[in-house]
Amino acid sequence: MNHQIRALIHEYRSTITDEWLKEVEKFRGENYLQTISDTVYQNTNREFVDMLFRTLDREEEDVKASISEYTDRLIQLGWPLNYITRGLQEFRKATVDTLIKKEEGRALEFYQEIEDWTDEIVNILVSHYSGTWENTFFLQKMALKELSAPLIPVFNNISVMPLIGTIDTERAKQIMENLLTGVIEHRSQVVLIDITGVPVVDTMVAHHIIQASEAVRLVGAKCILVGIRPEIAQTIVNLGIDLGKFPTKSSLKKGIEAALEMTSRQIVEIDE
Amino acid sequence: MRIPILKLHDYLLISVQVDLDDQTALQFQEDVLNKIHQEGSKGVVIDLTSVDMIDSFIAKVLGDVVDMSNLMGAKVVLTGIQPAVAITLIDMGIVLDEVPTALDLEQGLERLQHELEG
Repeated sequence: MNHQIRALIHEYRSTITDEWLKEVEKFRGENYLQTISDTVYQNTNREFVDMLFRTLDREEEDVKASISEYTDRLIQLGWPLNYITRGLQEFRKATVDTLIKKEEGRALEFYQEIEDWTDEIVNILVSHYSGTWENTFFLQKMALKELSAPLIPVFNNISVMPLIGTIDTERAKQIMENLLTGVIEHRSQVVLIDITGVPVVDTMVAHHIIQASEAVRLVGAKCILVGIRPEIAQTIVNLGIDLGKFPTKSSLKKGIEAALEMTSRQIVEIDE
Repeated sequence: MRIPILKLHDYLLISVQVDLDDQTALQFQEDVLNKIHQEGSKGVVIDLTSVDMIDSFIAKVLGDVVDMSNLMGAKVVLTGIQPAVAITLIDMGIVLDEVPTALDLEQGLERLQHELEG
């Protein structure tokens, strides 16, 4: 940045800061920052401004490091990104306004220089924030995957796969893989797919379930769809989905009875 | 390359141990039908445990073999289809609707016996 402008900014530092604090105070209430105490709020604001001024004199690498460090702290405190970006916008306005008031006639030059300076900071901030989000998102996805689709052998040749939560394409793929490898591993002849925990069964979910059961048939086992709640039955019929090809039962209990029948067994009570 | 067809009492046992190409598949179709005619077999088990890949043509040939054998009075069971193969077939939209399947050779024979008796 131009030496002259840098010097000017340093000179009017306190005016800019006061202007800026006035502006940000206006939209404090819009964000979720009411719960934060005044001291913490003011300290963080001060720190923010100080950091911005410090970046003026530094080399690019240093700037990146110090902003990254500061951003990490903000993320931990849970400051919303839109507050920070808006704060930066106000800061830019405040700086430009102050400089123009003091030195008229060089407006465009000021504007360009300061624009370049703040844009770089915005970029670092946003990429840092979104990086953290992606990270969180990834971890949650992993957790979901781990909880996804277990196949539980309950009797010889009979296994159950309870499904809980919404089914999307990726999960459906995993369900199918687990189902098929599990069938072979446990030598299951009948697999019960329990959809009690699936909140919505639309055409796509039904399609995935039909595909899975057909694949199960190809590897040499049979599928029974169990846990069909009344509202699910209604949606399936209203959507015109044909589940006629494989047996369905209302509860897991009935499904297991049917599965035992298919493998020529039954549960009998013992007479004492 | 010809696929060996073994006779066991009333049944024919076929274990496919190589990836089928089009020529082999057609040869295999002919061999099975001739063998059924020759031996008067009642059931056929085709074991696909060692097959890693089935394309649409092979799937069609297998489906045809099942239909043709049924016409000649022999029931066919496909056994040991691998998960990966099953997923590929389903993705390609090939469901092999009318074809009976079983997990392995043992269960395949049981199933044949069951169907022929019942």
